[in-house]
Formats: sequence, structure tokens, C-alpha cells
Amino acid sequence: MNAHDPHLSTKFDDGIAPGEELLHVDNISLSFGGVKAITDISFDVLKGEIRAIIGPNGAGKTSMLNVINGFYHPQEGTITFRGEKRRKMKPYQAASSGISRTFQNVALFAGMSTLDNIMAGRTLKMHKNFFWQMWRQGPALQEEILHRKVVEEIIEFLEIEAIRKEPVGTLPYGLQKRVELGRALAAEPDLLLLDEPMAGMNLEEKEDMSRFIIDVNQQYGTTIALIEHDMGVVMDLADRVIVLDYGKKIGDGLPHEVQSNQDVIDAYLGVSH
Amino acid sequence: MFYREAGQFKATYEADSAKFPIFQDKLFIWFYLVIGFVAIPLLGNEFFLGAIMIPFLVFTLAAIGLNILTGFTGQISLGSGAFMGVGAYACYKMTLAYPEVNILIFIFASGIFSAIVGVFFGLPSLRIKGFYLVVSTLAAQFFLEWAFQRIPWLYNYNNTGAIDGVSRWLFGIQITGGGADRTAQYIVCLAIVVVMTWFASNIISGRIGRSWMMIRDMDIAAELMGVRPLYAKLSAFAVSSFYCGVAGSMMVFLWLGAAEPESFDYNHSFEILFMVILGGLGSLLGCFLGAAVIWILPILIREWLPPLIDKITPWVITSSTADLVSDIIIGIMIVVFLIMEPHGLARLWAIIKQKLRVWPFPY
Repeated sequence: MNAHDPHLSTKFDDGIAPGEELLHVDNISLSFGGVKAITDISFDVLKGEIRAIIGPNGAGKTSMLNVINGFYHPQEGTITFRGEKRRKMKPYQAASSGISRTFQNVALFAGMSTLDNIMAGRTLKMHKNFFWQMWRQGPALQEEILHRKVVEEIIEFLEIEAIRKEPVGTLPYGLQKRVELGRALAAEPDLLLLDEPMAGMNLEEKEDMSRFIIDVNQQYGTTIALIEHDMGVVMDLADRVIVLDYGKKIGDGLPHEVQSNQDVIDAYLGVSH
Repeated sequence: MFYREAGQFKATYEADSAKFPIFQDKLFIWFYLVIGFVAIPLLGNEFFLGAIMIPFLVFTLAAIGLNILTGFTGQISLGSGAFMGVGAYACYKMTLAYPEVNILIFIFASGIFSAIVGVFFGLPSLRIKGFYLVVSTLAAQFFLEWAFQRIPWLYNYNNTGAIDGVSRWLFGIQITGGGADRTAQYIVCLAIVVVMTWFASNIISGRIGRSWMMIRDMDIAAELMGVRPLYAKLSAFAVSSFYCGVAGSMMVFLWLGAAEPESFDYNHSFEILFMVILGGLGSLLGCFLGAAVIWILPILIREWLPPLIDKITPWVITSSTADLVSDIIIGIMIVVFLIMEPHGLARLWAIIKQKLRVWPFPY
């Protein structure tokens, strides 16, 4: 994005240098009644890295993301984001402190256009009150157009200009995933959580999406935590990998370390207990 | 259409996000406004203004109110009739208390009372959805209707238990009460509806409107994008009830001249909901179309069907039979629309426009 745009250049000034700790999750435990979804998991995410969370189905990966952005409240443990320690947070707080995410099953606003969906990601950046909006002249219109410019840059970045005004409900799945990434990006997050961004895609779409993820990471400096089942993609994209199984952390480290970890191999291939 | 957007390029985002991006559309809007403000007052008679146009405008405004809540925010409500009543009673009490203040101010102020009541009855929407919310708004309907009947202070302790439009003047012309000038009433109604429609379309295309639609389409994702459901839902209830309240006070002061508690019963709520469904959920144009069909169609049938039957068949039907015919037609229309085109007349209109745009090619 343009460096001269004041709305975009400020986002890197969060006082955290690349390589420092952005998010730290401490001893998180989450259970639903008698079902323990997550047991005593700790890990960190460093500023500017791509952190992958992998594990077999039902390992608690999505639950972990839901805990991070405040949708689930863990029974134990704390989350430290940008130096702020919280026991639990509300989704609104997570969003306003700079955590944004996409969903495993596309959760776009189906009745709205691509443009409006991505504009929706800018909700927290817009502040003009009800009465200005009612007039939609002067400041309110200027604000709208300023944010439209940012959104147009994201649209250009994701190469979805042609579907700008299409209702997203009618778009093919691959494009919907892309729009959803755009919506998450529009919030200019410090931490972007991607829940299976490549699920159900063909090879070409996966390549496109991988390219976008790397570009987001490098161009905008956004820290990314992603869940993915395609091991090829994970090993290529991720700087570090966490492996979960039955709600417990069984591996954490560089991709090749994780790959040769016996526990991880057992979890994926199955061993007789 | 008979025109296309060809050659009309947009160089700014401002022009691109305009309400009517095509020049001919703008022309048509001005044309409709001229018809509305000049032609109809000049040519329309008492019956056309008083029985067709004014109620059509009142119901359009109420339908816009309900559409903001149901079509744009996804919260189904059956309390709109009662919220209209709140507006009407509030306006009545205020204008009696302060007779010297301009009635127009009170018509808008009555919306504020209605908005407050609407927010209160909107509180359950934070916890419940769908049918259960419908039931809780029905509770608002029954409670408020009860209040209009049983709290004599609301109807100023008069013997009839009804409220009547007090005579008030605007620019020296009597616009409310007995003997008011119908044409003036119509122009005031039209002005209010035009301005409030414009406001509604502004709000909907801005941040607040988007947050309503986010809640409607995917409330979990909306929350994670930073929309607080409390604010979004309650602001929708407030704005929606405001519109209904203004429509209610217009109904009493600019149309009927008097109203009983029964004027605001649940039949009204259903009627407005049908207008919204038939016209198109989530469309302002749909509110106009829906109100036109549900209000004007029965009148036309009542007026024209009996003479027509009389002329071309040996049978004779009364106007009450004609009313039944229009009930049947509207009932069938609602069912057919729900199945064939859930987005209503507005979507149908959009499809026709698109077909004409590419005509004579299929796409």
C-alpha cells in the first residue's frame, strides 16, 4: 500500500520490532462441560512471522483461534497480546486491539457486495457519528471515500477488481475465500488469524492463496497465524509450526524439526496405544 | 431500460458511490419529484389525495421503518403498529401541552418517544432471534395497545377514549384537525417522506448501515470485525421505531384526523410486514412498491371491480365482496412472492431493468 497514506503508514508503529513477541498464550485450558477441547497449551507468536497451527481433526486448532480472538473464554490461562495481559477478552476488544481473522467455512456477509464486505472490515476505523452519516455530506463522505481508497488498494492487491460490485453470495468458493482475506486485511490487523485458508481449493487456487499470504506477510509486515491441513503448504509457508493433538501441544518448532518429531508422526499416522 | 450507462465514466469514488450513478436515473428521480410535488397536488381530487396518496405515504414511511429493522438488520418485528401508536399519542400529548409550537416539530419529536420505547422492546433481541423475537415484539404490540386503552392520561381523559387531530397551522394554512387543507397535508407528508427516505438511504450506505447488514448476514463475523451487537441492534430498533413513530403521528394528524387504540392493533403490524415482504426486504424502493400494492390495489379493486362485473357478467357483487377478492389476491401474491422471489417487487424490478439493459440479447 502507499506509504504516503497516513491511514496505512501508522500501523507499523505499534512499538514492537520484528522478531519480538507479539502474542503469548499461557497455559490455556478450555472445556465444554466434560469435554476438554484444549489442555494447558502455551506458545508464542513473534512479530512478522508466519506461525502455523496443525494437527489432526478435532485437535483443538480452531478452538485455539477462537480463544485468541475472544470468541471462547478459556477456563484457565492468560493471553498476552502486545504486552497486554488478559484472562479473557471480548471479540470487540480483540478486533480493536488488532486481531483479525478468516473462517474455515466462509463467513462473508452474503447479501452485501464485495466492496461492502471489504468496507465492513474498516468498521473500526470509521468514527463519524450517526448525524453526519445521515447527511452523508462533508466529513462523513470524505471519511467514506478515504476508506474506499484503502479498500480499493486491497481489491487491487487481491486482484478482485472485476467482482467489486457483485454480491458475494453469487461468487465461486475460491473468490469468496479471497474476499474474506480482503475483509480481514481491511482491518489492518497486527495479527491475522487464518483458519484453513486453502481448504477445498484446487492446486492453482492454493498457489494463488499462498502467494497472497506471503505477500501480506512481507509487504504489510502482518504477523500471521494459520491453520492448514495441506502439509506441503505449511512446510513451505510457515516460519514455525505448532502441532496439536487431542487438545494438547505435541510439537513446536521449525518446520523440519516438527516433521521429524516422533510424536507428530504418531499423531498423524496413528499408533496403537 | 431504454437507456444504458454506456459512456458515463466515473472518475471519482464519490461519483461511483452516488445514489443514482446514471444520469438518466437522476433525471427520472427529478421527474417523479416534480410529479409528486406539482402535478399531483394540482390534478388530484380530495379522494385521490386523502384516500390514496396520503395513506400510501404514511405506510411507506412505516414500511421503511420496519425494513430498516427486518430487511437491513434481520430482526423480525411485529410491533410496528404499536410503535406508530406511540408516535401518535406522543404527538397528541405534546401538541396539547404546547399548542404554540409548530406541529412539524412535534411530528418529528414524537419519533424520539417511539424510538425510546422501541429500544426498550428491542432489548430482548440481544438474546433471542427469529420466531422468539417475533413473539417478544408481539408482546410490545399487546402491551402498548393495552396502554392506549387503559391509561386515560394518554388520551387526555376524554369521553370517547380516542385521540383527535387538533387544529394546527403551518405557514397560515391549516394542516391538521377538521377542515384541514388536503393538498397542504399531502405536500407535508410527501416532503417528510422524501427527506426521511433520503436520510435512510444515507445511513444505510454508510458505516452504521453496513454494521446493520453485517449483523443480519453473519452476526459472529460481524462481532469479530468489531461491530458490537448491542449498539447495532438497538440503533436499528431506535431508527426503525423513529420512522414508525413519525408515520404514526402523520397517520393521525395528517391523514385520519382521529384515532382509537384499535387503529394501532396488530393488523397494522402485519400489514406493514406484508408491505415489506412483498416490496422487498432490504430495499427502500421496495417500501414504496409494497405500500403501493398493499394499500392501493384493494382500493382500485373496490372501486372498479363491482361496476366491471356488473357490466360484463350477469352477476352483481358488492364492494365488501370486492374486498374479499383483494384479500385473496394479496394473499396469493404474498405466497407466490415468498416462493418465487423472496426479495420482492424491488428485485423483480431490478431483474426487469437488467433484462432491458441487455435487450435484445439474453445476457
